[in-house]
Amino acid sequence: MSQEVKNESGMTRKEAAKAVGHKCLVSRRNFLIGTGVTTTIMITMNAGTSEAKEVPAQITEYPRKFIAKLSELKEDEPFDFNYPDESDYSENMVVKMGVKAGGGVGPNQDVVAFNYACTHQGGSLDGSYKKDTKSLGACPLHLSTYDLTRHGILISGQAYQSLPQILLEVEGDDIYATGIFGLIYGRKDNLQG
Amino acid sequence: MSTPYYIPDENVPLPPVDAEVITTACDYCIVACGYKVYRWPVKGGKNGGATADSNAFDADFPVAPLGPWVAPNQHNIVLHEGEPHHVVIIPDKDTEFVNTDGDSSLRGGCIAQKCYNPEKPTRDRLKSPMMRIYGILQPVTWDFALDIAAEIGKYVIKKHGHNAYGVKTFSYQYMENTYAISKYALRHINTANFTFHDTPSDVSSTPGFRDAGFDNFGPAYEDWMNAETLLICGTDPYETKTILFTQWIMKGIQNGQKAIFMVPRKTAGVAYAEQNGGLYLDVTPGTDLLVVNAIARIIVENGWQDKEWIEKWVNDKWGSSSGFGQGTRNTPWQWRTTWGKFQTNGFDDWAKWLLAQDEFKLENAAEVAGVDAAKIQLAAEMMAKPKADGTRPKTSVMIEKGFYWSNNTGNTQAISALGIIVGAGGRPGQVIGRAGGHQRGGVKGGKYPRNKSPMKLPGRRRRALDTDTWTMAGHTRLAHVIGTTWIQSMLGSQQMSARFHELTRGNPHQIQSINREKILETLKKRVDSGGMVVVNQDIYLVDPIGNQFADIIFPAATWGEEDFLRANGERRIRLYQKFYDAPGEAKPDWWIISQLAKKMGFSGFDWENSNDVAEELAKFTRGSRKDFNMVKVAAHREGKTLHEKFREMGTNGIQGPVYMNDDGSLEGTVRLHDTTRKLATDGPAALNMFNKKLTHFNSQTGKCNIQKSPWSLFSDYWEWMKPKGDELWCTSGRANERWQSGFDDTRRPYIVQRWPDNWVEINEEDAAKRGIESGDMVLLSNDRVPSLKDTTLGVEGSDYSFTGQLANGNVELSEAAVTAVAMVTRAVKPGVMYMDFLHASQPANALAGRVVDWISGNYNYKMGTAKVAKIGESPYKNSFRSMSFAPRDIVI
Repeated sequence: MSQEVKNESGMTRKEAAKAVGHKCLVSRRNFLIGTGVTTTIMITMNAGTSEAKEVPAQITEYPRKFIAKLSELKEDEPFDFNYPDESDYSENMVVKMGVKAGGGVGPNQDVVAFNYACTHQGGSLDGSYKKDTKSLGACPLHLSTYDLTRHGILISGQAYQSLPQILLEVEGDDIYATGIFGLIYGRKDNLQG
Repeated sequence: MSTPYYIPDENVPLPPVDAEVITTACDYCIVACGYKVYRWPVKGGKNGGATADSNAFDADFPVAPLGPWVAPNQHNIVLHEGEPHHVVIIPDKDTEFVNTDGDSSLRGGCIAQKCYNPEKPTRDRLKSPMMRIYGILQPVTWDFALDIAAEIGKYVIKKHGHNAYGVKTFSYQYMENTYAISKYALRHINTANFTFHDTPSDVSSTPGFRDAGFDNFGPAYEDWMNAETLLICGTDPYETKTILFTQWIMKGIQNGQKAIFMVPRKTAGVAYAEQNGGLYLDVTPGTDLLVVNAIARIIVENGWQDKEWIEKWVNDKWGSSSGFGQGTRNTPWQWRTTWGKFQTNGFDDWAKWLLAQDEFKLENAAEVAGVDAAKIQLAAEMMAKPKADGTRPKTSVMIEKGFYWSNNTGNTQAISALGIIVGAGGRPGQVIGRAGGHQRGGVKGGKYPRNKSPMKLPGRRRRALDTDTWTMAGHTRLAHVIGTTWIQSMLGSQQMSARFHELTRGNPHQIQSINREKILETLKKRVDSGGMVVVNQDIYLVDPIGNQFADIIFPAATWGEEDFLRANGERRIRLYQKFYDAPGEAKPDWWIISQLAKKMGFSGFDWENSNDVAEELAKFTRGSRKDFNMVKVAAHREGKTLHEKFREMGTNGIQGPVYMNDDGSLEGTVRLHDTTRKLATDGPAALNMFNKKLTHFNSQTGKCNIQKSPWSLFSDYWEWMKPKGDELWCTSGRANERWQSGFDDTRRPYIVQRWPDNWVEINEEDAAKRGIESGDMVLLSNDRVPSLKDTTLGVEGSDYSFTGQLANGNVELSEAAVTAVAMVTRAVKPGVMYMDFLHASQPANALAGRVVDWISGNYNYKMGTAKVAKIGESPYKNSFRSMSFAPRDIVI
């Protein structure tokens, strides 16, 4: 038997992994046109030459980004958002869990946000929230699971670190993302890709 | 040591294009995934960039899933030739074997954190030889420490006999080291007081496999994937040999394999199997034999056994009586079988016995084992019921410690018979073997002197010495302990610790001088007065054996600090390369032993480097499962050293036994006992050898022995240990994240954050009855821990049984207590608790009886019993930074 197992749509596991990891990929160009302008300073590289192009300057600080309204979050229903940019693995979720959690915001300290990319090998955890255990996972690739009440610590599995937690602030009814605790899968630096 | 405060980094340096790439394999579990070390100097500040043309991976960042991502825990800074260097250590993304897909576990994945770095928690590596003077371990020179150790060693042997010099050593930490150690201990000191880290006596771990003719590590990893039904007993490979699960078994399950787990605890692998058409047989500790024989009975009653296979490959009366070619009396085979308890005249004789045992009837076995009878029935059908088209399912059987350390002899006999009747063993996808624990790094440089052992079975041969009982009784005068905690990893740990203290620090004769003669005079008085000197060789100061009891400490070099050879669980042999400097004056164990041996006056220890040792030991692998003598032959033909030849093979290595083709190329062995393999008809040429195990089983005839497995040989101990009153079973094992329990994992901030304290899983029902919640601090106690008082000579047939030992007054009862953080969970069977197997200060092994399996001489470690009570709340109950109480059985 070959090691290359194919799923129902005929994709190998490696192909499927790549597909899930990039499910919400927005190109950098779309990102620039769309939302990034509040925090991204454009500079022109190679000005005056045929290779001149506009690229974002290095972001050295985490952007402060509005992500959701507290009053609109329903218990145990994750709401997806992108942060700190809209590049690969910027997909995150914010969820009101109904139980107090490490880093939780809101009157009950039960609203937390986490990145969706498994910190083992980058499988997407999108859609894997479990309300009975307040966890993300198991990752479809190698079954890692994360405890969202405890800063995304690994419950069981193979990841090399906790799931990156998105730092939140609340202003009135507005929830803002203001930073990330932990390196996002696939990147060498959270802010420089 | 690390504190539980892990602050994650938000960026990581990448190796530049010109970083050096060095191949190695993981140091930890049996699977031994292939890894690449990327090394570049800190000086100059030249790191790799995010674009493919600017880093050593030729990859654009962010990388794709399964890509060469570098987690911050995969980077470290080490000294290489005295200069600081970055190292990034990630699984080999190009490997064709073992960890295909470039996969890794959490353990190996973070192995960069193993490396000594004075700015990290590894800073307390042992860096200098030390001697305890005025109660304090002080640095001394190698020459001084070795001289004192050798002189007292010679004195002990001369005055108190060879068996007074005890050697307790790892069995796995690289072939060069184990060869040197066993050459020293067995060939030269010639002591019967010798054993390995995981057993009190130097005996087979799986007596039933040995009797049946199965090698422990015959199968190839692809066989575990290609089986249509896979029975896994006593382990969840996802937790403890991850890549064997994620790259092989999990792919099998995705292709329709039915995986049946027989364990009392549901972890992710078990839950995944159950969710995908498999089965969870939640067996009560120690009752595996009953379930296995109930399955066998259903198969026989329905005539589902593999008749063709049995006809061809199972010994009849004459075959099973033909001995093992070692004489008729002095073989393990003979003493186990001549009572008539195990040996049969073949399948029919075995089946007749099986059907005559009431305890194996489905309803009886189901009741005692606490497993739903319908699930046992289903397991039998999955394993052996012919399909609609009349073909049989391809069935394989995997066992590991939860199983063979529960009823060592009985369980391994029973599973061998079940394996035989379902046709497992000897064909692709139809195999039987161990999953494995540590890697296979043992090569013996001497023969165990069995006839010097004072232990003798009634009417039969001598048995390897139970070194724990021997030491507890005060017969060991010098304990040479190499790379093991000894005390916490053996049973009745707390009594052992107290006794070790009495024999060492509790003895009035303590070194209070730096004068050589006075030191020797003191140590001689110690051993002559019934005390014990401890020499400890390790990479860290281990508590208590090194920290509290040792007189002399030798600092050892380890993985990455020397070139070493080792094999994995499919006999794949690789070179684990040196890539950085060992800390301080730490030296590899083979070097320490060679220096000590020379001072003892032994010859044959003049090695200059680890390749010299490897070239000497290669010939002693001949005939074994990791026979690689022909690699040495090929290397020398090509003008290379043995290590150089293995270096060229990189992470692929080669599977033993290795054969050389006529054109000089080397060929590995995919699986042992491969009845489908065709060997050259004109026999082995030149230095090649064809071992029987290549194409047949390990018995005189080459066929399997089908053996009986009587419950009555174990049931007295099981009934005795069984929880009484409000006691619960308290079994133990590894947790994935804390697999490397004793030294590395306690120095990884992330792992210590995840598991900051000893823990015990308690079922929700049992916890509720006792008012225990997750996060509570609990006390586990046992006021009736049995232990053997002294080694005995068996005279009557029942002398060695637990009942016999009790009757003869050789069993002592004592109390034990350990604390733990409670984890209340649905994922462990009611009536059973599960504890981390080796916390240095709160060892689970303290709660299990220090009584060896009377037939094999191994411990049944998993048979612990305890009362549990809340004593308060742990700091983790209401804080969020550390630990998690979520269940380990969450799957997709």
